[in-house]
Amino acid sequence: MTIRVSGICKRFGSFVALDRVDLEIRTGELLALLGPSGSGKTTLLRILGGLERPDQGSLTFFGEAALGLTPRDRQVGFVFQHYSLFRHMTVFNNVAFGLDVLARKDRPSRAAITEKVTELLRMVQLEPLADRYPSQLSGGQRQRVALARALAIEPRVLLLDEPFGALDAKVRKELRRWLRRLHDEMHITSVFVTHDQEEALELADRVVVMNRGRIEQVGIPSQVYNDPASPFVYDFLGNVNRFDCVIEAGVARIAGLEMAFPAVGMTAGPAVAFFRPHDIELTRLEAFAKEEAVSAEGASRAQVRHIYAIGPSARIELDCAGHSVEVVMDQDRLRGLGVNGGDWCGVKLGRGRLFRAGVVAATSIDQR
Amino acid sequence: MRTRVNGSSATLERPALRDPAWVRWALIGLALGFLVLFVVLPLITVFAQALHRGISAYFDALAEPDALSAIRLTLLVAAIAVPVNLVFGVVAAWAITKFEFSGKSLLITLIDLPFSVSPVISGMVYVLLFGLHGWFGPWLRDHDLQVVFALPGLVLATMFVTFPFVARELIPLMQEQGIEEEEAAVSLGACGWQIFWRVTLPNIRWGLLYGTLLCNARAMGEFGAVSVVSGHIRGLTNTMPLHVEILYNEYNFVGAFAVASLLALLALVTLVAKSALEWKWGESLAGSRH
Amino acid sequence: MSGDNIYAGVSGAVAARRLGWGWFANAQGVARRVWARTTARDQGGMIIRYSVLPGFGLTLGLTLSWLGLIVLLPLAGLVIHAADLGWSGFWDVVTTPRVMAAFRVSVTTALAAALVNLVFGLLVAWVLVRYRFAGQKLVDALVDLPFALPTAVAGIALSALYSAHGWIGSVLTPLGINVAFTPLGIVVALTFIGLPFVVRTVEPVLQELPPEEEEAAISLGASRLQTFLRVILPALTPALLTGFALAFARGLGEYGSVIFIAGNMPEVSEIVPLLIIIKLEQFDYHGATAIGALMLLLSFVLLFVINLLQAWMRARHAH
Repeated sequence: MTIRVSGICKRFGSFVALDRVDLEIRTGELLALLGPSGSGKTTLLRILGGLERPDQGSLTFFGEAALGLTPRDRQVGFVFQHYSLFRHMTVFNNVAFGLDVLARKDRPSRAAITEKVTELLRMVQLEPLADRYPSQLSGGQRQRVALARALAIEPRVLLLDEPFGALDAKVRKELRRWLRRLHDEMHITSVFVTHDQEEALELADRVVVMNRGRIEQVGIPSQVYNDPASPFVYDFLGNVNRFDCVIEAGVARIAGLEMAFPAVGMTAGPAVAFFRPHDIELTRLEAFAKEEAVSAEGASRAQVRHIYAIGPSARIELDCAGHSVEVVMDQDRLRGLGVNGGDWCGVKLGRGRLFRAGVVAATSIDQR
Repeated sequence: MRTRVNGSSATLERPALRDPAWVRWALIGLALGFLVLFVVLPLITVFAQALHRGISAYFDALAEPDALSAIRLTLLVAAIAVPVNLVFGVVAAWAITKFEFSGKSLLITLIDLPFSVSPVISGMVYVLLFGLHGWFGPWLRDHDLQVVFALPGLVLATMFVTFPFVARELIPLMQEQGIEEEEAAVSLGACGWQIFWRVTLPNIRWGLLYGTLLCNARAMGEFGAVSVVSGHIRGLTNTMPLHVEILYNEYNFVGAFAVASLLALLALVTLVAKSALEWKWGESLAGSRH
Repeated sequence: MSGDNIYAGVSGAVAARRLGWGWFANAQGVARRVWARTTARDQGGMIIRYSVLPGFGLTLGLTLSWLGLIVLLPLAGLVIHAADLGWSGFWDVVTTPRVMAAFRVSVTTALAAALVNLVFGLLVAWVLVRYRFAGQKLVDALVDLPFALPTAVAGIALSALYSAHGWIGSVLTPLGINVAFTPLGIVVALTFIGLPFVVRTVEPVLQELPPEEEEAAISLGASRLQTFLRVILPALTPALLTGFALAFARGLGEYGSVIFIAGNMPEVSEIVPLLIIIKLEQFDYHGATAIGALMLLLSFVLLFVINLLQAWMRARHAH
């Protein structure tokens, strides 16, 4: 275990940034702190880096209490959201800074520093730009300088605040892959903050989903995506269809729809059901086309409002008795079904999850 | 106080907002006329009067022993007061811009206070403290120390008057620059001095120079405050502006304007340096121009 | 946060002095101590937001002690001296005809000069921002000359210029206009001194005025003059008033540029700062103190008004 966070609280005035947060960060992993703005993810990162002090709680680094340690003693490398490069220094001097400020007895020789900085610049593929100033670099280049600068002090932990936040989509994608490769080579324990779910799911070994100062779920990407632990995580990660339900006698009914599924062991009352677009099936039944029935064979009647068919999969927007339902399926299958805009067809809910509103209780639904 | 010189107003490029040529030229003419009358003519007068009996009379006036001693004294006072206020300005700006604490606006107002106090009062408060009838007067006399009517009084009054210059130049500049680079330096292991010398100072050096220039101009040119504490002892406690007054009141116009011309030159040099800094480093000074 | 509330700061400043000094006294083992102390400071309610940067105690302690020694203590000395006079002692000094006349002269001339600057300052700012002409940068630099030129130099120059034999005086005197050695001379000197205040306050606001608003006015059928009066001028009002108040405050306390041109006739052209100096030279410390205290009070009131105006200006600007 590299870092253990327990019971950390932090308020700014009346705003609660972190509310009793517990987290364990494993050695060598690449961890994503994912959440909307104001969820406390950056505050948590800054507390890890020693740039912020929690009001309560404890923090250990490699078994040692860390809250009393300066950032320097924690040996963390921090990559700032807006890079925070020293604007009056060249790329080379930026990267060398952490070594230049070491006490004389710890400081490597000039030659050793030069060698180390050159090596780091080679690693981030910026060696030819060593004499440039930050203002002469592109966003992606600045980000790599910031990374090299943080790595120069040989940190035990690398902390990155929205590392790709200020970059355009293409550079973002390239840099993301590059960072993943770098991490695989160096295996340095890394934590990064992001509000981009795609980035977190693609890049991280484990994802911490945060909301309103609390951790909603921690898990590997497939786990948090496929098995969200809370309605928030469901909503936040990927597209999802949300249905308000009522539970009665072990059965959940979607309000206004002729659809129900078992809710064994859940108390009666309002609930919410979530289904991913690809977990809803589209069927073509004669009964629906002829407007003879509202439901049949476990499916409900719905009308196709719009079809977005770009790329390998198609997104179909349906109107199911006033509910908007989104379904995703292969283009080929859609073509096989022969459904067009305005057609009537059936939707069948597959795998999903039911949350009892106001109570921490959930159950999986599988009607496939 | 100051404004962006090179940043052009967006309205300049809007055809619908262009005034007719006659309006433009009338307004420009009026503004220039006003400035010539109130600013340019007084400036020219200084040099014209100083030189109106010829160049040698001018230099003779400057070579007077009393004039020379006034010049020396002015330089000495500035050499003490300006560095002290420079250090204070940097220290105050660091505390105010790098930290969030309660009472900050009050502190800024208090630092600006000397700007709103009449220079005569700035001098008088030291007379009340250190003068013969002041609080510390008897004690100072018993210990054979002199503050008022001597160098320490001149320095104190000058420091009071020039107190806010550097700080008020640096505060908006450093506020705009934020603390991100300093935080980065901390995370890379730099200590306080290293952060200041290697990260903060290079970013504020032009603003610092700018503030120091203005501070120096005021320190050398201050009249009201030093007039109260000086005692006007010729050759001893007369700074240049005070010497100008004495010569003028003695109807020695060439002498008065000759010394005045040196002060006017100082003002012009300050303005040129200030303008050069603004045009060249408009960006890095931008924070201080609101 | 509460940093914007100047009243909330008083107790904070006291706490800061205590904490700042305590720290300053034993400024060793800095880095680690900063850490340990932060909690104490948080509890003191002094620091609003924790910062990882060092030097808070040291710099704030130095700032407050230096400010206290050089500025606040001497000013407090004046106030205490004035309080020693008692209300009647104070009243006796302030209500003498000579003192009252001096205040009348100072206030009216400063107001008149500030008014002149209000009009011409706006004109100069307008010309500098809205038009382009040869030598503009020179003109822009000239506006700052009254800031940079020592007041005594300005004083003798204006006096020489407006005296009966001066370049301007020799033109005006035959017309029956006497400037030098009259209250009009004081207005001239204070106009010179106050010029940059209105220009430099109005200029940035004028510069950042969104042109779209003016274009909208014109597209709605307003004339240029109507646009100026109904769109531009209201937007500039806070800045104009701020500049006016700054020029007035400066004019009220001004000494060096005035005394040479004023003539200094008691009850006619004698300004308050000069009267203070005369009292001090006569060792009439009571008189000087009473007048000085009243001046100081006026300065504080003006400072307060200026702060309010600036807050208004910022609020206008922020929308």
